[in-house]
Amino acid sequence: MNSGFLGGPSNRAGLITFDVHWPLVLGVLTLGLAGVLLLYSVAGGDLSPWAWRHGVRLAAGLVLMLAIAALDTRTIFALAYIAYAAILVMLIGVEFFGDKSMGARRWLDLGVMRVQPSEFMRFALILGLARFYQSIHQADVSRPINLLAPFAMIALPSLLILRQPDLGTSIMLAATGASVVFLAGVNWRYFAAGTVAVLTAIPLVWQNMLNYQKERVLVFLNPERDPLGAGYHIIQSKIGVGSGGLWGKGLVEGTQSRLDFLPEKHTDFIFTIFAEELGFMGSLMLILIFAFVLFALFQISRQVKNQFSRLVIASTGVSLSFYIVVNLAMVMGFAPVVGVPLPFVSYGGTSLLTFMAAIGVVLSLERNALVEMSRG
Amino acid sequence: MTANMEAHKVARFDDEETSFARRSLLLGGFQLLLGGVILGRLQYLQLSQSEAYTTLAEANRVKISPIIAPRGRIIDRYGQWLAENDRTLSLSIVREQVPDLPATLRELQRVLGWSDEKLARVRNAILRQPRFRETLIAKDLSWEDFAKVNLELPFLAGVEPKLGEKRVYNHPQAVAHIVGYVGPKTRRDIEEFGNLVANTVGQTGIERDYENQLRGEAGVRHLEVNANGRTVRELSAEGGEAGEDVRLTIDADLQAVATKRLGQRSGSVVVMDVRTGGIMCMVSAPSFDPNQFASGIDMKSWRQMLMHERKPLLNKAVQGLYAPGSTFKMIVALAALEAGIIDLKTKVNCKGDYEYGNEKYHCWLEEGHGDIDLEGALAGSCDVYFYDLALKIGIDKIEEMAARFGLGMQTGLDLSGEKTGTVPGRDWKRARYNTGWRGGETVITGIGQGFLLATPLQLTVMTAALANKGVLVRPRLLAGQDEAVERTALGLDAKNMAIIESALYRAVNRPEGTAYSSSLLIKNQRMSGKTGTVQVRRISTEERETGVIANKDLDWRLRDHALFVGYAPHKNPRYAISVVIEHGGGGAQVAAPIARDVMVHLLENEPAAASAPPVNADIGEIL
Repeated sequence: MNSGFLGGPSNRAGLITFDVHWPLVLGVLTLGLAGVLLLYSVAGGDLSPWAWRHGVRLAAGLVLMLAIAALDTRTIFALAYIAYAAILVMLIGVEFFGDKSMGARRWLDLGVMRVQPSEFMRFALILGLARFYQSIHQADVSRPINLLAPFAMIALPSLLILRQPDLGTSIMLAATGASVVFLAGVNWRYFAAGTVAVLTAIPLVWQNMLNYQKERVLVFLNPERDPLGAGYHIIQSKIGVGSGGLWGKGLVEGTQSRLDFLPEKHTDFIFTIFAEELGFMGSLMLILIFAFVLFALFQISRQVKNQFSRLVIASTGVSLSFYIVVNLAMVMGFAPVVGVPLPFVSYGGTSLLTFMAAIGVVLSLERNALVEMSRG
Repeated sequence: MTANMEAHKVARFDDEETSFARRSLLLGGFQLLLGGVILGRLQYLQLSQSEAYTTLAEANRVKISPIIAPRGRIIDRYGQWLAENDRTLSLSIVREQVPDLPATLRELQRVLGWSDEKLARVRNAILRQPRFRETLIAKDLSWEDFAKVNLELPFLAGVEPKLGEKRVYNHPQAVAHIVGYVGPKTRRDIEEFGNLVANTVGQTGIERDYENQLRGEAGVRHLEVNANGRTVRELSAEGGEAGEDVRLTIDADLQAVATKRLGQRSGSVVVMDVRTGGIMCMVSAPSFDPNQFASGIDMKSWRQMLMHERKPLLNKAVQGLYAPGSTFKMIVALAALEAGIIDLKTKVNCKGDYEYGNEKYHCWLEEGHGDIDLEGALAGSCDVYFYDLALKIGIDKIEEMAARFGLGMQTGLDLSGEKTGTVPGRDWKRARYNTGWRGGETVITGIGQGFLLATPLQLTVMTAALANKGVLVRPRLLAGQDEAVERTALGLDAKNMAIIESALYRAVNRPEGTAYSSSLLIKNQRMSGKTGTVQVRRISTEERETGVIANKDLDWRLRDHALFVGYAPHKNPRYAISVVIEHGGGGAQVAAPIARDVMVHLLENEPAAASAPPVNADIGEIL
């Protein structure tokens, strides 16, 4: 079989010859270590409070990732609906028992750890939808009756997250779900119709909104309307990125970061620090590593031999790219401020573990690339 | 069939695979497009616009703040400070940085023990300012209060304790008129001195006249600040230059003695070193406290001072104008002696009054001095003698001699605001009143009244010229320029000067002298001088007949001015003095004793070097 530069598909079934797609593992680890380095810098050259914990989580994530990679495709397939259902229950749990933080109810205390189920849902949704499409014939994907289940699977968690409220994650989740449906081959006319429906609904919804709600949406769309709040952060973030120049100011030397001009600099705005301290060259490197990971996912998705794996791997790549693009666009003053972390780099346990678990699943599916599963 | 089914199955799988391949390629292309946009944006921000954003980042983090140079001190001739800088502790607040203003103010009220009115005042002051502007909420805090606030600072976000400098004055009442005071910068100050960094600028006196020298040059400090505006560290500091000290010829202790001696009276004492022109004492009373001005005086107190009958804000020594009275008689005598009209033996009979035209002019001694010569007339201050003498020589000669002694013009003191006074004459009267000069005006000019006006400083300079045997020395306040003493020899006959000298000695040291009760003897040194009593009202004929009302029975404003001019020691004089007491009564009773006490202090406390005989031969022979 013809192998790409990332190594061809293999059928390395079983734990005896445990061999995974190491370039992908390496790419992900590089991103995680870049995060450790930046978090060290953000803390003013200190491993605490963020860098070492990010490192520990990265190590834990690596173990989790390889453990999942060791699973069989059928096991993952079997767990897909269960995972989706469990996370959905957690989201409902957040609705009733969630901890409030900064005005939104996002956290669920599981006793041992506090988690954000909305972060988990993004990957659970991919698994659930992929399993659904594996279970119906390709010829039937566009039948109206087969649109109902995917729609419900996407809408339910999206609406729950919207209620938290977390508009950003909700839209991202819906977009991820839509991309799975799209990759599954659902007739493009539905997408065209859906787009038209959304566009026509906007003015109607707008008409029926109260003034303060409108104002909220306007600020969301255009932060400069609120120059002392979100707008201020966008402006400062642009200054941070722009002042980095070609080579950057050097680690720990970023003035925008060190002097507290940046918000959430260890989480959502971490790329600003990257750009400020390591310049255009550093940022380019980081973006190229992301591109490498995305390309690896793209290539793997085209080599696996069953629809479930294809959809899971490709959608994981698409979802990852959404996060990267939205985050970068946000810190560069291109998109409204939505709470979207930069995958693998931003500080935050739930986000990091979810992304690594997702890559673990991809690795597992890649190991079993030649497994064929019948549909219907 | 099986093959067909197989084929069908394969076809379906191919369909599934190609459909996925097409769509994943489409999404991949979309991702690539987004990636391109992101890279384009990155390139725009970091490469194209890098410079602009670097500037913005610098503007964010660097705050340029001036380092105000410490203002120079003003010190007296012996180095005692008169004006200095003191640390001041204050609090300011920026509303924008206060999360909860009412709570913060309540906390400050608790810590500093403010009254509710004070709290309301502070709140209003803060609310009047724009959100981002700093408001001064407490100044001149005690160390204790300052420390308390610093302790509570973590709970007082937006409140900033500040260390500053303020001007303080030593012997404030005594030196107020010379030293002046600093005050808040005004539009006029900016026009005169340019855009100053300092908030306070000299407003009067030496503080104003030598502002440029005292101020020094402000430095610049580049501070790194964080997003909250707090200073993180100092990046660089270019220290300016501290202001220069200004040393005055004033003797602060003498100044204090004279001030104390004047007490509640309204007037002035001026003492000048006759050889160098250095003003050792220049007191104007009543006075004010320049410290009050430096820390911002309230409108009410200021108005009160401005409207006060005895004009505390006026420097009477250079801005007060008085008829010199009998202290002018030396000028009249010298004019006559130089003209050769009289000699020592020339006598006049004083019967207590003198008739000229339709007017009767009175001598202060009602019963008259009898037959009296020049020295006697000067010592006893006989008016009739000088009425007669003035008419004998005429106004022109008197005017010319007065001008030679510096009357009617500024003395050239290095302090602004000096008045010129008036030496009347024919031309002056024509220009001023467009009428001719009248003989009766010559008569009263003979005793230093009428139109004649002089400042106490002019009288001191005049007296110093007499002490110097006819050498006029320009007075000055700035020390340390002895080589630049400006002397003008008046070209007067030494014999005539000796006559005046002898007469002035008698006036103080002989029983027939008007100031005999104020004579002094310290280390064999005596004082010579001349009293003057200046009428400020017209005494009617009826009052003359029933008896002139005593000064103490008159309204303050109607009482006579009391004057004394003199110098000491009587041989080799070193110090000239003038004392003017507004509405004080008789010169002999009121002014002369003050002059004596000031001179006693001066002679008793002077450094040994000062009592050495003069080095400069210009000053003439020792009598």
